[in-house]
Amino acid sequence: MTIKRRWSTVAAGLTGIALLLTACGGDDSDDSDSSTESNGAEGSGGDAAEEPAEPEEPITLEFQTLAWQTASMEANEEIVDAWNDEHPNIQVDLLQGDWNNVNDQLLTAFEGGTAPDVFHYESTVLQEFGDRGNVLDLSGYLSDEIRSDIREGAWDTVTYDDAVYGVPFLQESQVVFANATILEDAGIELPTVDDPWTWDEFTEVAAELTTDDRYGAVYPLKSPTNRILNLSRNYGAEFFEDPSGEATAVFGDAEAEVLGRIHDMIYTDESASPDGLGMSSTDALPAFFDGQYAMLPGAIWLRQQLMEQAPDDFEWVTLPALEGDSQQQGAVSQTLSVSADTEYPEYAVQFIEYFLNAENQVKLAAGDWLLPTSQEAAEAPELNDPETGWDVAVATADVLEIAPFQLVKGFEEWKAKVSEPSLQQFFADEISLDELGAKLTGEGNDVLERYRR
Amino acid sequence: MSKARPKATTSVLAAPRGRPRKPQPRRSRRRFLGLDRDGMLLAVPALIPVAVFSLYPLMRGIYLGFTDAQAGRATETSFTAFSNYADLLDDSYFWESFRVGLIWAFSVTILQFVASLGLAMLLNQKIRLRWLARTLSLVPWAMPPVVIGIMWRLIYHPNAGLLNSVLMDLRIIDSNVDWLSSFSLALPAIIVVGVWTGMPQTTVVILAGLQSVSKELQEAASVDGAGAWQRFRAVTWPAIAPVVTAITTLDFIWNFNQFGLVYVLTEGGPGGATRLPMLFAYEEAFRYGNYGYAAALGNVMVLIIAVFVAFYLRQRFKEAQK
Amino acid sequence: MERTTSSAVTGLKYLALCAYLVFLAFPLLWLLSTALKTPQEIAQINPTIIPNDITFANFRAAFDEQPIARSLVNTAFVASVSATLTVLLSIPAAYVMARYRSVVSRAVIVWVLLSQIFPWVLVIIPLFLLLRDAGLYDSRLGLIIVYVVWSMPFALWMLRSYVASIPYELEEAAAMDGATKVRALRSVVAPLLAPGVVAAGLFAFVSAWNEFLFALVLIRDPDLQTISLTLVKFIGAEGVARLGPLAAASLVATIPSLIFFAFMQRRLTGGLLGGAVKS
Repeated sequence: MTIKRRWSTVAAGLTGIALLLTACGGDDSDDSDSSTESNGAEGSGGDAAEEPAEPEEPITLEFQTLAWQTASMEANEEIVDAWNDEHPNIQVDLLQGDWNNVNDQLLTAFEGGTAPDVFHYESTVLQEFGDRGNVLDLSGYLSDEIRSDIREGAWDTVTYDDAVYGVPFLQESQVVFANATILEDAGIELPTVDDPWTWDEFTEVAAELTTDDRYGAVYPLKSPTNRILNLSRNYGAEFFEDPSGEATAVFGDAEAEVLGRIHDMIYTDESASPDGLGMSSTDALPAFFDGQYAMLPGAIWLRQQLMEQAPDDFEWVTLPALEGDSQQQGAVSQTLSVSADTEYPEYAVQFIEYFLNAENQVKLAAGDWLLPTSQEAAEAPELNDPETGWDVAVATADVLEIAPFQLVKGFEEWKAKVSEPSLQQFFADEISLDELGAKLTGEGNDVLERYRR
Repeated sequence: MSKARPKATTSVLAAPRGRPRKPQPRRSRRRFLGLDRDGMLLAVPALIPVAVFSLYPLMRGIYLGFTDAQAGRATETSFTAFSNYADLLDDSYFWESFRVGLIWAFSVTILQFVASLGLAMLLNQKIRLRWLARTLSLVPWAMPPVVIGIMWRLIYHPNAGLLNSVLMDLRIIDSNVDWLSSFSLALPAIIVVGVWTGMPQTTVVILAGLQSVSKELQEAASVDGAGAWQRFRAVTWPAIAPVVTAITTLDFIWNFNQFGLVYVLTEGGPGGATRLPMLFAYEEAFRYGNYGYAAALGNVMVLIIAVFVAFYLRQRFKEAQK
Repeated sequence: MERTTSSAVTGLKYLALCAYLVFLAFPLLWLLSTALKTPQEIAQINPTIIPNDITFANFRAAFDEQPIARSLVNTAFVASVSATLTVLLSIPAAYVMARYRSVVSRAVIVWVLLSQIFPWVLVIIPLFLLLRDAGLYDSRLGLIIVYVVWSMPFALWMLRSYVASIPYELEEAAAMDGATKVRALRSVVAPLLAPGVVAAGLFAFVSAWNEFLFALVLIRDPDLQTISLTLVKFIGAEGVARLGPLAAASLVATIPSLIFFAFMQRRLTGGLLGGAVKS
């Protein structure tokens, strides 16, 4: 009883202070409104394609990269140093962020107006940042040169309505890695870029390679949503109707295809290891090196890990992306964007264009073992070396497209609350394909409902 | 009014052992908020930073729970009173995770306390290399949190993990167990990590409490022929009771609010089996940008946890009165 | 007969202690072992504690690529200043909370609980804006203030219960000799609080040492960054990490805390109270 009384006293006190705070809150929003306006004005007035003159007085731009592997960090430093030498009055300060926390950091920095002028992130978040007025629309600033050098499919991943919220530069595609020795011993003829395996062929080979102490394949399925949705483009799966408008989750035969095939490999054919359920791609490596799995479907960056971690006597090979109805895959892009708070949008864009020119993209792509978006860069000899699977990786450039889910407002919540848990249940054989479909659309649309208000 | 609110919460922790609670300091000339000049002098230096840097942001956070605040500059915030709370009642994902959160918080807190009490008593005895044992028992505390989750993932790894290989060698299991993606084992597996992470602070606090147990009383009881258990019940336990109450309360709150560690381990999976409620508030705020709704979740959690805590503190107080 | 039981009991005690220490300290050994392995060996299917061939390349990579030493110095500075301030500010306030029946004591208790229960994710943005307006963005002072305020609830809550367990008679005696409250606190209560103060100080130090999120949003300058910010630079997206350098750097970050613990644990021994309370 006394306790209750005490809490209510506190509550009364809190309400009083809360009222005071409302007043402060009002000020904040006024400030930010005006800054949005001014930025908007600058954006539309910007002269496209003109190299802005160097400023009279030295200025500093902050650039936050997410590079973290030694080689790509070195590439970043090298490019920034070269820029700083050439542009004494536009100095770039290179900061290093990290993938796992960059979202929290940027969100807070946007609120406080302390975000770096140029930042590295990925296309999936840009729509949200754009809607919130945190990133600059670059459409008025970009030169024709970079516009035409970067693939159209990559621009699609950063373009919302007519706004361009970043410059795409690295993309990952899904391929298959195989233990070359096992495949050779079994007399399997390797597929080529021109004649890739279909899903059926892949499934057959996996079954053929399965023995008492070996699985034909392993699917790392720790957080499966993005991967499954991207791969399902092989069969034209949409998963969402009217993604950029009143997005509705749908589930039909096309959507069921890849899901069903993987599930069957694990539980019907027993040619894919159930170990993969909680694994990320790198988790699967020890047993892959040990010969417990013959094939490991994964993203092209995994080559870096294979190069670094494979035992000296381990032979691996990169197999082309599988073909369903087509080889099309959904892909997200890593991007460079400009904060809406920047004082120097022209210079920031000028820097991005320099940083992402074809020559530099070669270095960045090589450092991260990912596909460059620059068409010129993709032709560089070092990005076409068959020894390290580059020919296969670069060949996927033609089949990458934006998956519909990237356009869906509320996708992140749909994924966290509905899709990830249901997919895990499905792959653990706790629910059937039909039940999965019902969850993705039923519960899924309840979640999406909130975003239509 | 002042008569109506005696000891309850405040004095619970004081838990005077049989002796009436401290007499009031002698009346001094001027009093403000129940403090004399000395009291003010002692309390104010701590209260100023607290008021500015903790109370203000807290109030602001609580207030947000009654608005529709969103991330971004293009949005306008308006006061919505209780509409967030109406939504929340319908939010089955949240309540499911709340259930998981309670299981997690209670198990971890209880196990942590029992294990730490045992360890603290061992460390309080005259043993060889005590300094080393005490230092090593703080290892989980010294280890950077960012590496803890990653390391335990390696330990639980289904086919290259240390745990499975040890258990296989000991013939406790005969095939690999996939700890973190099993629907039944994932929660227990992360509870072990939770206990591991939180033991040092609980141990240190109890150990410090044990220092204040009167040696004379111990000896006197010993001379009277009391066994170890009786000595513990009669002398040690009453002496450390206030400290135990304080630390278990905090442990419970902290555990309930934990999610970063678990997120690294399981990302809330499999199938939501380890999705702790604070992950919800976090995702609402930092992933979906719904500050208002997230704050409302926070407020509801505060209320519910406060009820648990108040109930617990009351129980402890009653026990201490006996 | 009695001797055998007591040595059996002693044996059991050591056995139990060993079990505890294996459970608690084993991961440190694992960290060491990982830090000394090559990438190939880390990805081996049957991991061994003792590396097949020991390499120091991970330590070299960690120190070459990230300012480890600099971050350790920064962190040590921030953590020790915050711990000292926390304790100095908390002792008197905890004393007031335990000895005065006042509105303030009660309000502080409510605040202590509230500050711990309320999700920090919702506090971080207002706090960040406040610090920015106060000109404390990208400064050590800003971090120190946050850490002091962050640790104070724990320090107050614990110290209050320790004060409460010190008999009031001791102070009365001092008061009769004409000592003021402040004097009584300094000369009578504070010394008896030693173990509690150590516990609170350790807590404040460790929380500051390990804290990540506030450092992430408050510190921009790489020269000011704390060790937890440095460590995450070895972790990438999708659960990929450079385990070797990460383990090496983490080990380096763990050692100073452990040495500090080893040093402080003597104070925990205390025994002060046992001797002093002869009522």
